[in-house]
Amino acid sequence: MLVDGAWLHDRLGDDELVICEVDERPLIYRLGHIPGAHCLDWRLDLQDPVTRDVPDQEAISRLWRRIGLAPGRTVVFYGDKSNWYACFAFWLFRLYGATRLLILDGGRQAWVREQRPLTREEPVENASTEVRVPRRRRDLRAGWRDVQAAIADGVQLLDVRTPAEYRGDVLTEAGYPEEAAQRPGHIPGALSVPWDIAVGEDGRILADEALRARMASRGVDLAAPAITYCRIGERSAHTWFVLHELLGVRTRNYDGSWTEWGSMIGMPVSLGERP
Amino acid sequence: MAADRARSHPDAQHALAAIRTELSRVRSSVSRIERDLNELEAGERGSGAQRRRPERYLRVLIDVYERGGRHGVAGEEWAAIGARHGYDRRGLGGFFTGANAPLRRIEGRVLLTVSGEQLIDGYLAGLQR
Repeated sequence: MLVDGAWLHDRLGDDELVICEVDERPLIYRLGHIPGAHCLDWRLDLQDPVTRDVPDQEAISRLWRRIGLAPGRTVVFYGDKSNWYACFAFWLFRLYGATRLLILDGGRQAWVREQRPLTREEPVENASTEVRVPRRRRDLRAGWRDVQAAIADGVQLLDVRTPAEYRGDVLTEAGYPEEAAQRPGHIPGALSVPWDIAVGEDGRILADEALRARMASRGVDLAAPAITYCRIGERSAHTWFVLHELLGVRTRNYDGSWTEWGSMIGMPVSLGERP
Repeated sequence: MAADRARSHPDAQHALAAIRTELSRVRSSVSRIERDLNELEAGERGSGAQRRRPERYLRVLIDVYERGGRHGVAGEEWAAIGARHGYDRRGLGGFFTGANAPLRRIEGRVLLTVSGEQLIDGYLAGLQR
């Protein structure tokens, strides 16, 4: 599921690959991007434009047609912020049944640091290929009712936000005031498993053994199912990718996350260090 | 002992929870007030919401964003970024000074502040126009 810069560099121009850049700041794509890469704007392309929800089947079909995702082609995602939004796009495409998906390890950061080629030329959008989008899978996404059931059933809840957000010291990280919930804290029973325990300082995901050790040190049982959440579902998509795709843990992403849970009337909330 | 009682007593726990919630709200309010104040002060200096920065200054920030990701860049890389854009050691110190400093140092690594990210957003938006 993970490829490195050298692998992708060798395959630039390969017709079987669809390269997609997904950034927190989509405008960064304009400064230069991997040759042939399409820009997916997470606000416009990866969300429903009206309802707080993932795009519907028709919107995904339009998106896949635009980037030319025909059967037999493989998508490689990469982006800024250690691939937060690239992992969200990966999760979303998987949710709609796409099977041939890859993540460029370290994302844009690694590609730039390795001084690999960038271009400002944008790829031609493909509008003609018919794309059939399967029905949304039910086993990769959790809603708030699933989380309530998880609390009762002992399914692991993994809070991947910063420790300060988990404890309830802050409503949101600095710089994201629009993502604040009404209440600080965490879902009762959730373990604090900050997303970045899975990456090195260069943004690359750690080797499997190190991942297993770090997850275990946070109390994660890799043999049991899990639900990940963060604030709006993108950091938790990163941890979902690590657990589900790399370590084979049955994991769902709760994309409603804390902005939903912490704003709903009557939902149980815990504060402090303890689950 | 008193702390143990406070931890175990439901009323004390409720009070603690209320204080934590209040603290979060105060922190959010303070950061909003600081942001508004900074914008007003920048306006008083007669240069709109943000002082105009030279291109190379902003390219330094872009490089930190691009190469540092969420963990920032290490000292050596920071010096290399500065040199690439024509800044000597003294010039680089200016990125860390003032209430609106765009960069901060944490455990030897250089990271963007919220102000720094706002400058990047302004720069990128300018490229659009």
